[in-house]
Amino acid sequence: MKKQQIIEICLLVGLSIVIGFLYTYITHQGFFAPPKQAKAHQQLEIIALPQAKEAYYSGSVRFIDARNEFEFKLGHIRGAIDIPLHDFDRYQTVLSEIPKDVLLIVYCDGVQCNSSIELAKKLSELGFSNIKVFFGGWQEWRTAGLPITQ
Amino acid sequence: MENSRSTNNAIKTIVEHPITNLVVRCLLGGIFLYAGLGKLIAVDDFTQSILNYKIFSENIAVLSATVIPWLEVLCGISLILGIYQRASTIIITGLLGIFTLLVLWALMHGLDISCGCFTQDPNAGKIGWLKVLENCGYILLGVFLLTQPESPLTFLSLFSRKKIEENSNTTPPEENNDSTD
Repeated sequence: MKKQQIIEICLLVGLSIVIGFLYTYITHQGFFAPPKQAKAHQQLEIIALPQAKEAYYSGSVRFIDARNEFEFKLGHIRGAIDIPLHDFDRYQTVLSEIPKDVLLIVYCDGVQCNSSIELAKKLSELGFSNIKVFFGGWQEWRTAGLPITQ
Repeated sequence: MENSRSTNNAIKTIVEHPITNLVVRCLLGGIFLYAGLGKLIAVDDFTQSILNYKIFSENIAVLSATVIPWLEVLCGISLILGIYQRASTIIITGLLGIFTLLVLWALMHGLDISCGCFTQDPNAGKIGWLKVLENCGYILLGVFLLTQPESPLTFLSLFSRKKIEENSNTTPPEENNDSTD
């Protein structure tokens, strides 16, 4: 690689860094995002099956299924509400009927699915203050023989 | 035998033609410009796309999301205009290599995530072997450009040509100074 090319590469990378930081500073994104947005990633608590099961039997929880309608109808945790991530905006009416301080446990198919985390973030932005993510999801719940609806 | 030789010559002519270089540059540059602009609209969503690969810390993800979109935009524009052709091709090909490795890593670990390549919609562009093939295709375009000499067809050369034409129209004809004794 010639010296000229190295200089050009450094120039392009350097410009990207400078413009990138300026842009995020002006638009309040990235490192300059307001604290509420910056902490959104850290608010979510991920729980394992025992905690999800305990919450279920305590009765003071709403399970939210992030999968699409078809998968939900094939089988879901008993009493869960389906709020498909890809169709989130259509379910605003359903969400408005849920108290903002009730414990919500969000799940999707299993550990390979990130939709539960994405949906939990959206719920957090809507004002729900008590959200947990059951990462083991439908697969782990079903395998454990816990209450389901099919 | 002569036919195959002439076919080879024809292919070589097409491959080495400056117009071919220009077309490939515009294609690759345009793709990266589009990808970069898509990421700029939602930097925080792009941050989450990077975090979804479960490799990087949050600070690294935020730093990457701050810099990479602008790197893509600048290199895309450079490539289209023909400025810093080789440098921008090296950067673009390098980025593609990294993205492809990340997708392969995610596939090996069974992550059900979106690529985050062109859109930050979490349900669009889910990673798969098609994405790997797509990236390999782009890498081939980059390698092609790197194996060819820099094309003279650039944005600046358009202006150079115009200047030359303007100068030739305005310069008065030279006078012959014959020395006489």
